[in-house]
Amino acid sequence: MPPPSLAWRSDKLQGEIRLETLVKSFGDVNAVDGIDVHMPPGEFFTMVGPSGCGKTTTLRMIAGFERPTSGRILLDGEDVAQTPPHRRNVNTVFQSYALFPHLNVADNVAFGLKYKKVTKAERGKMVAEALSLVQLTGFEKRKPGQMSGGQQQRVALARALVLRPRVLLLDEPLGALDARLRKDLQVELKTLQESLGITFVFVTHDQEEALTMSDRLAVMNGGRVEQSGPPQEMYEEPATLFVADFLGVSNLVGAEATGRDGAACVLTVGDRKLLASQGDLGCRGAVKAMIRPERVRIEPQGSEGENRLPGLVEHLVFLGSFLEVRVRLLGGALVTALQANDGSETAYPQGSSVTVHLPAESLRVLPEVPTAVAEDDAASPAEDAAPAS
Amino acid sequence: METRWIWRVLAVPGVAWLSLFFLVAMYAVLSVALGNQNTLNQPLPYWNPLDWNVGYLFDTVSNIVHNGPFLKVFLRTVAYVVVAMVLSIAIGYPVAYYAARHAGRWRGIVLLLLVLPFWINYLMRMLAWINLLSPGGWGTRFLHDFGIEALFEKLGLLNQDGGWLNGQASSVVIALVYGYIPYLILPLYAALDRIDQRHIEAARDLGASPFAAFRRVTLPLSVPGILAGTVLIALPMFGDYYTNDLISASPRTSMIGNQIDEYARQGSQKTIGAVLTILLAAVLLILMFYYLRTTRKADLERAR
Amino acid sequence: MSPVIAWLRNPWGKARFLPLITLIYIIWSVVPVIIAILFAFNDGRSRTAWEGFSLRWFWTDQTLSVFHDDALQSALKHTLVLALISVLIATPLGVTLALGLQRWRGRGSGTVNVLMLLPLVTPEIVMGVALLLLFLQIFNQIGLGTTAQAIGQITFSLSYVVVMVRGRLVSIGPEYEEAAADLGAPPTQVLWRVLLPLLSPAILASAAVVFALSIDDFVVTQYLSGDASTTTVSMLLYASARGAPTPALNALATISLAITLGTLALVFIVYRRFAGGEDAAAVAGLEV
Repeated sequence: MPPPSLAWRSDKLQGEIRLETLVKSFGDVNAVDGIDVHMPPGEFFTMVGPSGCGKTTTLRMIAGFERPTSGRILLDGEDVAQTPPHRRNVNTVFQSYALFPHLNVADNVAFGLKYKKVTKAERGKMVAEALSLVQLTGFEKRKPGQMSGGQQQRVALARALVLRPRVLLLDEPLGALDARLRKDLQVELKTLQESLGITFVFVTHDQEEALTMSDRLAVMNGGRVEQSGPPQEMYEEPATLFVADFLGVSNLVGAEATGRDGAACVLTVGDRKLLASQGDLGCRGAVKAMIRPERVRIEPQGSEGENRLPGLVEHLVFLGSFLEVRVRLLGGALVTALQANDGSETAYPQGSSVTVHLPAESLRVLPEVPTAVAEDDAASPAEDAAPAS
Repeated sequence: METRWIWRVLAVPGVAWLSLFFLVAMYAVLSVALGNQNTLNQPLPYWNPLDWNVGYLFDTVSNIVHNGPFLKVFLRTVAYVVVAMVLSIAIGYPVAYYAARHAGRWRGIVLLLLVLPFWINYLMRMLAWINLLSPGGWGTRFLHDFGIEALFEKLGLLNQDGGWLNGQASSVVIALVYGYIPYLILPLYAALDRIDQRHIEAARDLGASPFAAFRRVTLPLSVPGILAGTVLIALPMFGDYYTNDLISASPRTSMIGNQIDEYARQGSQKTIGAVLTILLAAVLLILMFYYLRTTRKADLERAR
Repeated sequence: MSPVIAWLRNPWGKARFLPLITLIYIIWSVVPVIIAILFAFNDGRSRTAWEGFSLRWFWTDQTLSVFHDDALQSALKHTLVLALISVLIATPLGVTLALGLQRWRGRGSGTVNVLMLLPLVTPEIVMGVALLLLFLQIFNQIGLGTTAQAIGQITFSLSYVVVMVRGRLVSIGPEYEEAAADLGAPPTQVLWRVLLPLLSPAILASAAVVFALSIDDFVVTQYLSGDASTTTVSMLLYASARGAPTPALNALATISLAITLGTLALVFIVYRRFAGGEDAAAVAGLEV
């Protein structure tokens, strides 16, 4: 892809967004329930969460289509919460692209330039530049109805970017595309953002997309931000049950936290004792022990050592590069382990007795929250054992 | 967006127009009906509701209730409308059904022909019938030669003096059917079209014959459409006066609309005309509310 | 008769009596009008006895044809004038009302909505009497005549425009306006550059509907008529039909019909060029 001209790069650090105790209520319902988010300039920031979590509402408030009930929206230090959308220096790529059907591609892209002080010649140049940025040179005369979804999306991008916004808002732009196109466009969008250096605020419900594309992400649920941070940190160190369950796949085993043992927390599962050195170590009472499937070790029956539980292989799923082993622990909980298909690890057939090793350094204590567990994440086999006592 | 007031401003001219030329007009009817008359029988409207005089309203109502001439006209109107409605359904339902469910590749043309009467001047359609049914007209000759004239006379539906266009109730009723049936067929078509084919297929699958499937599935599901359509044509039929004037021109078949027209426009007593108008409007209001209620219920049913 | 009955009873396919009834209905519905049009071209004075093809009632007859008879001509002219006025005023009025209503959230919107729908369900004679009294008792400086007739026609046509434009607005959805605002367009620009172009098919269609409604209107036009100069085609048909008119009356009706159908066909073709085919069908059928 051709490198953009230097005119594109924002020299000053622009495009920083801070949301301060932002609330949006519709009647009695708080779609956005007092969130504080910091989106550093020049980063690819994603808001992710299940439907109804408030991410789209938040985005629309940043764009100006919804007026916040209370709170501030600071764009580079200036509160724009009351500014109408046509006067904010942010632009949006809509989920359905919203290309004007009665205008051709060039006129669509040039639409907003009418409100910037540019001459006709400059306008033509900027449109051409924007189209080449999204690799649609030559499509000027086409009408939106004559283009594929992926092409329409690029026109929508060009139309927004031609105005040199400080922040680009993207509302689930890849939702309408098929899986293959999606993957390609994910890479393209990420590359585009890096080369332009402007802030992208991306909204999606797809946690995998969020993890792969973002510099920083915020997981939202029920109008609140559960956790925000860089993807790796969010994945390895989820702060709440919801985040652990939403990002990637996790095993969640019900346990009782009874005390400390040095740097670790002591958990009781059934009649067995486990040590966990991650998470909320000071927590007591009913908790969930969380471990990622790729960290679970399957060992032969009778294997001795700490954090080892006996179990029965209930199911094997061949995933090509991985083997998914589902083991039913004696206490009743189901644990999924992921074994790499590199020939090194032993395969335990269905029905065989094994020992499940949950290494303490990968075991995380998460406080139990009554209703926070996401129910749409069908991938996680989160079934509880009946907790002890 | 907080620029909401801009949009509301756009509505102002339209609302102002409707308020001025519709609402005020309706108020004028009330004020004249509940007003008084001078010695020349010209109306003296009472604009202040507190002054409203129910005298003429009372007189007219008691005229109706106590078997005065208005009662006869009112009953006759009801009879004409009811018969016309029944005939309209009898003819319109099969046509709508055909168009909705059996037309196949003819559907486009059939629909076009069903919609066509909407765009033809009503009076031209009546003019066409006057031409046909006048003495010596092609219609009169056709009906005579095929024995229909004799049949109608035998059934008492046709008086022997003057022919089809002279004070014949049957002509008026059939003309009403002719005039308004398109307004029934289209909503009925829409309602029948909406019925999910799968319901019928399920009934057939469970053993019902085509007619039984129709009787037990299609027909009940189409009842809201029938009701809606009949109310939709009853409203204008009740207020019709010109069909009678053109097809019959005799006080023998005079309808409520004719009475209103005579008193209000032809000028004999505008106050009485206004009173009759509001009485008619009241009756039709009840019908309208019924129509709205059934359509809302039908919408709720469909949403389930 | 039995082969006919056997044909009707066709056990294999769908009921044959349905298409038969439909055919009979369509013939009954359309043929009288066709005959009336036919007699407009009659060479003789009769409207019931055919004497050959002629254009005399249209323009060749020096005194009685539409072209030469003052009464007929003025009726036609007046009808067209009224129709034009109605379209020019009712259409913009209705479009703005539709836009305003659609955006109106909160108090009053329900009431205004009902107000807008009322003329659609009000019987013509009620409207006629109401408007008559309005122009006799209140606006008596205006009085009866062309102005009153125009006002009356606009009043009941308005609702048709609003319903049609609003339907299109709803199906367009809010996204284009948001996109336009997002790209920097202030509200007036959003309206001008995006909304109105997208609405233009519905606006055109509703203008055609207003035109047709006006030409064919009778009750309101008659009630608000002043003197003979404010007679329209409909009124003339009503007044003359039972008399002993010449086929010139048929000719007048035919011309009027031709204008209506011609305008609709024109709009249909133009419409097809912009929007898809399904909207066009809706336009044709949208009377009630």
